[in-house]
This record gives sequence, C-alpha cells and structure tokens, in this order.
Amino acid sequence: MLSRSAERLYWLARYLERTENTARLLSVYMNLMFDMPMDVQVSWRNLLTIFGAENAFLKLYDVPNEQNTMRFLLTDTANPGSLFSSLNAARENIRTSREIMPDEAWQQVNEMYLFAKENVNNATNRRGRVLILTEILRGCQRFTGFMSGAMSHDDALRFIRIGRAIERADMTTRILDIATVLLADDRSDKTRQYENTMWMNVLKSLSALLMYRKHRRHRINSGDVLDFLLKDPDFPRSVRYCVKDAEVYIKRLPRSEGLIDNLVVLAESLIAVDIYSIDPLQLHHFLDEIQSSLAVTHNQIASTWFLSST
Amino acid sequence: MASLWNEYAVSEAYDEMRCSKNLARASADRLSNYLDSLDGNALDVRKTAAEMAIMEMGITFTVYSDEGNIDRAWPFDIIPRIIENKEWQNVAVGLKQRLKALNCFINDVYNEQLFIKEGLIPESIITSSTNFLQECVGMNPKYGAWANICGSDLVRDKDGTLYVLEDNLRVPSGVSYMIENRVITKKVFPELLQDLDVLPVDDYPVNLYEMLSSIAPEHVESPRIAVLTPGIFNSAYFEHAFLAQQIGAELVEGADLVVQDDDCVYMRTINGLEKVDVIYRRIDDRFLDPEVFNKDSMLGVKGLIRAWKKGNVSLANSPGSGVADDKVVYAYVPEMIRFYLNEEPLLPNVPTFLCSEPDQLDYVLTHLEELVVKPANESGGYGMLVGPHATKNEIEGFRKVIKSNPRNYIGQPTLALSTCPTLCNNHLEPRHIDLRPFILQGESSFVTAGGLTRVALKKGSLVVNSSQGGGSKDTWIINTGK
Repeated sequence: MLSRSAERLYWLARYLERTENTARLLSVYMNLMFDMPMDVQVSWRNLLTIFGAENAFLKLYDVPNEQNTMRFLLTDTANPGSLFSSLNAARENIRTSREIMPDEAWQQVNEMYLFAKENVNNATNRRGRVLILTEILRGCQRFTGFMSGAMSHDDALRFIRIGRAIERADMTTRILDIATVLLADDRSDKTRQYENTMWMNVLKSLSALLMYRKHRRHRINSGDVLDFLLKDPDFPRSVRYCVKDAEVYIKRLPRSEGLIDNLVVLAESLIAVDIYSIDPLQLHHFLDEIQSSLAVTHNQIASTWFLSST
Repeated sequence: MASLWNEYAVSEAYDEMRCSKNLARASADRLSNYLDSLDGNALDVRKTAAEMAIMEMGITFTVYSDEGNIDRAWPFDIIPRIIENKEWQNVAVGLKQRLKALNCFINDVYNEQLFIKEGLIPESIITSSTNFLQECVGMNPKYGAWANICGSDLVRDKDGTLYVLEDNLRVPSGVSYMIENRVITKKVFPELLQDLDVLPVDDYPVNLYEMLSSIAPEHVESPRIAVLTPGIFNSAYFEHAFLAQQIGAELVEGADLVVQDDDCVYMRTINGLEKVDVIYRRIDDRFLDPEVFNKDSMLGVKGLIRAWKKGNVSLANSPGSGVADDKVVYAYVPEMIRFYLNEEPLLPNVPTFLCSEPDQLDYVLTHLEELVVKPANESGGYGMLVGPHATKNEIEGFRKVIKSNPRNYIGQPTLALSTCPTLCNNHLEPRHIDLRPFILQGESSFVTAGGLTRVALKKGSLVVNSSQGGGSKDTWIINTGK
C-alpha cells in the first residue's frame, strides 16, 4: 500500500473517531447540565477544558455560555477541533482514498457530511442539537459496522484500526480529565452531592454504563469508574484496551520492529498505577503522560510509514 | 390529456428524439411515449432523485474560482440521448480507424517523417507545434500506439451527419461521468431500462485495464499499474480516483514516485519502494518530468522520461502524443487515413480553414461573423470565438489576435449542433449537445458504447463544457427492430 494511502486512512479513522467522541461528549454534557440544579457550579467552560480549547474559544467568542460553547464545539468550522471540522477532515481523507475503500464507505461519510451541512442552522436550539448529535453518532457506528463487514483484514484496515485506537485512548483520557476538575478539593458541598450523577454521565459518554455495572457490581464511584475506564482489559474504550489494540495491529504491519516498545511501557504503567490512591493533581499528571506517550507512538508511526515524513 | 410534446419546439437543428413536435424518431419512440406518460411534476421528482444520488455518490468536479476551489455536483440531465446501434457500429469502426491513423502519424513524425517527405503536410506545422517534443524523437512505443486513450468529440449537423470536431489525445476526461450517468439512470428510470435493449457502458474499465496491461514493458508478467494524478485539487480528481478504483490500480501523485539509479520507477509504500510498470498519467506532458520539461513542476517525477526512454516503464498516453492533438494537424487526418491505412475515412471532418495558409486566412478574416474560430492548442472551450453569437467588439478583438499569430488559429463553419429534449423547469426543451466517445488502442482497439453526451443547458448556447455551464446526459446505444 502507498504511504500516502496509509496516512490518509489513519487520519480518516482518527477524525471519524474524534467526530464520534465529540458527539458523545456533547450530548452527555447536555444531559448532565439538564440534571443539575441551577445553583450547582458546573459550567460549560469545563467542556472547553476537556477539549483544551479555552484560548481558541476566547479568540472567537466572549462568554462561555451554552449557546456559544455549543456552537464553537459543534458547528463552527473556524474551530479546527469542532465536530463539523473533524467530520470535514474525515470526509476529505476518505474522498481522497476512494480507490482503496468500498464505495459505500465513502457514501456513508458523505451522507453524514451532507446531513450536518443541511442541519447546521438547527443547532442553535437544544432539540436541534440532540437530533444532529444522535444522527452523527448513528452515522459513525454505521460506518464502523460496515467496515467490519466489508474490508479485508489487510494493511488498509490495520491503519484504520490503529488510528481509531490511538484517537480513542486519547479521547478517553480527555474525558477522564474532567474528573480532575470535578474532584478538586475546593468543590462545593452541593457539587459533591451530585458526584455520582457526573460519573454516571462519564460512563454514558463512553457507552460504558452497562458494561461497568456488569463487571464491577459496585455502585458508581469515582475510583471504580477511573479504574474501569483506564485499566479494564476487555472494555473497548478503556485506555488499556486501546493501547493493546494499537499494539496488536502495529505488530502486523511491515517494518514495525521496535515500534511497539513505547506502547508496551505505557501498558505496564497503566497496569501498575493504583488509581484508588492518587489525588486529582496526580491523576491529571498521569493522564497528561498517557497523552504524551500516545503522541510519541503517533510520531513513530508517521516517520515509519507516512509520506509526509519521508 | 395534453401531450408533453405539444409545446416542444423543434428548431432547424437536428433533434435526436423528435422528427417534429408530433413525431418521434423510430429509435426513440418508446422513450418518447414513456416520458409522455409522466407529467412535468413526475419528471421533476425523478430529477430530484437524480440530484440526491449525485450528491450522495459524491460525483463532483472542481471549479476554480477566486474564493478557492469548489467541488460542484456533476450537472446531469435525466433525459437520455438515444443513438441507434446500427448507426453506432459504423461510427465505432470509424473511430478506431481514425485513432489508428493518428497513431501511425505520431510514430511517423517522431521517426521517418514520411508524411512530411511526401509533401502531405508542411514541415513547419510540425516544428511549430508546441506539442511536438524533441525528446521523443526515435521512440517506438509498443504496437506503435502512442495515444492509447483518445476522446474524440462528435457533433451532428442539420442534415444528420456526425462529424468529428476534434481528437483529444493528451489527457481526455469524462469517461467516469459516462459510467456514473448510467448508474444514476438505473436508479431514476429502472422500469424503462428493463424494457429496452440498451448496450451497457460499464465494460470500459475492464478494457482500460487490458489495454494498460498490454502495453507493459516486455518480460513483465503481471504489471503493476498506477494512475498518476496532479492531485486532489485537479478538476478531474474524481475521475482519476474513480478509474484507479475501477481497474485496481494505485492512485499516485508525483511525490509518491521516485526514479532510482537503475532508471526504474518506484512508488513509496509502507513496505518501502516498489516497482511500477505502467503509468496512466493524467498530467500534461510539460509537467511530467522536471528533469526534461518544466523545471518548476511540482506535479511530475524527476527522471520519468529517462525511465520511459529506457523502456523500463510504459506511459499512457506516450509523451509527445499531443502533436496530433492540434487543431491545425486535425485538418490533415483524412489524408493520414488514406496515406497510412490506404482506406477512405469513415467519419467526416468538419471543413477547416487554416489561418496559416494566406488564402484561407483571408477567408476566415472576411467571414468571422459566421465562423467558429479556435486556437490550435486549447482545450475546455477556452479562447474561442463563436461568430454568430459574438458582439462586434469581440469580433474585432479576435481579428487582431488571429493576425498576430495565424498559425495558432483555425476557422470552421458554425454547425447547428443537434438538440435533445432536456428537462427545464418541469417541461422539455431542445438543447444543443455533442458526444465524446472514448477509444482505446494497445494490442487491440476498443470504443465505448456511445460516450459522454454533453449538453449546453443555456437556451441557444453551443458551449457544452462543464466548466462553462454545460451538463451531461446518459447516452443510450439502442437496438431496435427485432
């Protein structure tokens, strides 16, 4: 396979996963906000923090209220991290990979894009947003489902799987980072009362609620949720699972000698960490380290296989 | 019930579907009646369905504009154009004949130059052609086929005669739209296609693949084929990707390829470098190789011509083929057919006045109001004058342009391009059309069943180019009378 094609498929998968995760996060956050009593201090600003986009936001908007935050993260193509921007990028990557992908794969992404474009004006109200997010989530899942039934398990699919795994791991750490905000020592008593609601929503945002209940059997609490989403070996959105996934597919590609070493170290550190005993600040640093380590692997992948690095 | 055709105003041009308002051509009888069974609104529903399909399939072409490049949905008219198979078979033979003669001519120009020595064409026309490439002298591509892929433009005049308007031998485009148009028609008029005996068009990719395999360098068992595109911003990128996918070739850009010290072409893959044997290039000659041509070309591959001359890679079309894709050289094609093939041309040329010849120049300059004047080397309908549609100022401006460089211009009578019913605001109106069939020549020859019908969507307009407001139609080669 051409280096150029490998690169586009990898980015296609990353952008599509980012699109899906953004949709998840936005819809769950909206639900969370509806659950919260008016006087609990959970602001829309937290969403910007998760995306690491506070500065970018302030360049385009002044007040981080619901309307502005949602527009910025959902439809604003001036924000390269918005859902629509990710979807555009995914579409551009698959549009330029049509010679290696089944037609239907392109058509699914294209339909999603057309849908988003058509409904951009509906995103100004909550109902419209719920509809858009639901449709985007469905579209992403249709795509994933279609691919698993139509793509041979060859190098092309491997690059897609690797891109997806790395993006997913990264996004899970970002979602968990919300905990470091919510668990801060100076949080109000009122906020503490609603902690479980928040954790439940974190699980929901990763479609993890049922699996958590099945496998943990505890009532929802911060330690168990963090442990499940970081360290569970079997849940497909846990960081450990994604790291393993990336490792498996990297190993099967040509010229991959030495490329999994970084991931092996990362997996070991995940297994070793005792999540129940670390404080919010340590957690924040740990999540940061995971993100840096994923970036290292990304760079190794790029310099080994991609055209832009040769 | 009032017939859809009552308001259909057949003009003096030949209409492909109707002899008159009240009478359908025999080949289009069933289609005519079928359309009449739908009312304007029902047709509009089909039209919307077609537009949806085009958007969802992502059939686009790129338009360059000041605000950047925009991907436009492919403009498609749902009413098909019909040609009787009996007529088409003769056209197909004529097209193969033509391409064969053109290839003989190109090979001759770069080798013995008998055509010039016999005095059949002035040498100056060749030496002054911007498409004549000195680097290609002495080359001898497999089967003598320089231009492996040709898109010839056919137009039908008042009396029903099909003329060859030009032969595109460089990087003709449109074949992907021909195939996709049929896919859309199948969605829009499924019931109709089932009842009629229409030749399929989707065998083109198979034949393209066979042709490209056949021209691979000697001793290559299963050649690796690549389609070389200028990149995602090119107006025909959709087609490049489409064809690569259809024939199972790699779609590469210049940066994906490298010529090593062994003068072989390799592509950069995740396994490292892999050898490429045949390149269907969709980049113009001048940008192919910065080592030989345009030094600033970012699109090409350094050393590609070197590899080609060594016989390590085959290029389709061969560099230099454009020497026969020149509207002055065009005028000599009938003579080429007689000279090289010893046959009479089966398809007529449009009468052509060469401004390089003083007496013909005089005629052109005194008849600008009635002629179409074209530059010898432009494509896409740019830089031409349509006399009957031009203002006085435009004509005077063009007069100066022609005088300053007569070699670069030809004049032709303005043909009354044939018309075909086209859906305009819920009813049918005649619009002018042409036809671009695609001809392949490698070890053997192949002609598409029909081709891409282009339609000038603006009332009265003769300009069919998609870059200038043209659209397209599905073309049906149909068997009638069993």
